[in-house]
Amino acid sequence: MSTHTGYARADALVETGWLAEHLNDPNIRVVESDEDILLYDQGHIPGAVMVDWVADLNDRVRRDYLGREGFEQLCSKNGIGNDTTVIFYGDKNNWWACYAFWVFQLFGHPNAKILNGGRKKWMDEKRELTKNKPGHPAASYKAQERADYKIRAFRDQVMQHVLTKGPLVDVRSPAEYTGELLHMEAYPQEGALRGGHIPGAKSIPWGKAVKEDGTFKSVEELRELYESQNKLSADQNVIAYCRIGERSSHTWFVLTYLLGYPNVRNYDGSWTEWGNLVGAPIEKP
Amino acid sequence: MQDRQEFIDFILDHYENPRHHGALENPDVVMRGGNPGCGDLVTLYLRLDEDERVVDASFEGDGCTISQAAASIVTEKVIGKTLAEVAALGHEVVIDDMGREVVSNRLRCATLALNTVQAAEKKYRAGQAAKSASEATVENF
Repeated sequence: MSTHTGYARADALVETGWLAEHLNDPNIRVVESDEDILLYDQGHIPGAVMVDWVADLNDRVRRDYLGREGFEQLCSKNGIGNDTTVIFYGDKNNWWACYAFWVFQLFGHPNAKILNGGRKKWMDEKRELTKNKPGHPAASYKAQERADYKIRAFRDQVMQHVLTKGPLVDVRSPAEYTGELLHMEAYPQEGALRGGHIPGAKSIPWGKAVKEDGTFKSVEELRELYESQNKLSADQNVIAYCRIGERSSHTWFVLTYLLGYPNVRNYDGSWTEWGNLVGAPIEKP
Repeated sequence: MQDRQEFIDFILDHYENPRHHGALENPDVVMRGGNPGCGDLVTLYLRLDEDERVVDASFEGDGCTISQAAASIVTEKVIGKTLAEVAALGHEVVIDDMGREVVSNRLRCATLALNTVQAAEKKYRAGQAAKSASEATVENF
């Protein structure tokens, strides 16, 4: 499935060529998740369904993800059963695909993969796209209760990490990290009243993990980035964050599946929470 | 009544064939608007006559299909209107054209251009209007 050797969980990635040969596999469901919501309508991988993070993955009232019943309904209507292999792809170098993948992992869906290179690579290779909406028959899905504690970090955990100097990864752009984007406090940026970063967080922009074509870098390059340059290691409890957790889910995927770190959590409250939190410590270089 | 696909086709037409695209020469107002949620950016240019009526408008931008199509739609909406009429426009003038159901999960993208042009009106009134893109700071909506 993946042509890269050395990844801890190489089976979490599929390549475009492999997927093209397996589009008619009844045990596979391709899921498109994009920032640009109309891309799917403009053309998608044949058989792919769309899962939108706003409409499908988020609770409509409180800032949280859907519950078990909603997840069961989401999977069922898209023809996803407990044994279905779900392959996620999307725009923006798979930010939102990784985000959807991460939400599926809150429910412990066992067979989930990311299409290496996402929508862009599929299109760059001039592979087939269709506007036809697939008519997958509904499936039966029995979901577990969400197990957030395994891969999701909350505000108080992050505060504890700050106090104990636990490893935090800020995957935003350098200008967001420094707070440079926030010139005047009268103009709220990113929905936050303050700019900067969580004290102790290392700046490792998510984009450093991918090549120009959107595919993930080699395991050697990733180790150089995260371990040699930034002193992360697999024995640490790492928390990654960005603005709302979508870019940091991309980094979570890299650390967890490509480098095999067993304790990585995505702080989805991220800067929109921390930067608005009364009394939360903030660091600026 | 239009169906979903007709709304999508309308949006895609504005995205692929944007009206009034590009910088205006000698604008009276330039306003940049950003959507921090997803990186959409638009720059709106307005030229006014002595009665503060918009005689020309254009946009530049980068971002998702909905935000850029909306900017194209907004330029068509504001040409011929006075600044007071522009300020009075409600979001529905854009959302209804694009299809409320189609854009309901991306309302911030759909309203970015209108918010930006209405912020331009406020800046103009306050005597703070930028006259070039390089002068204009990005307002976040």
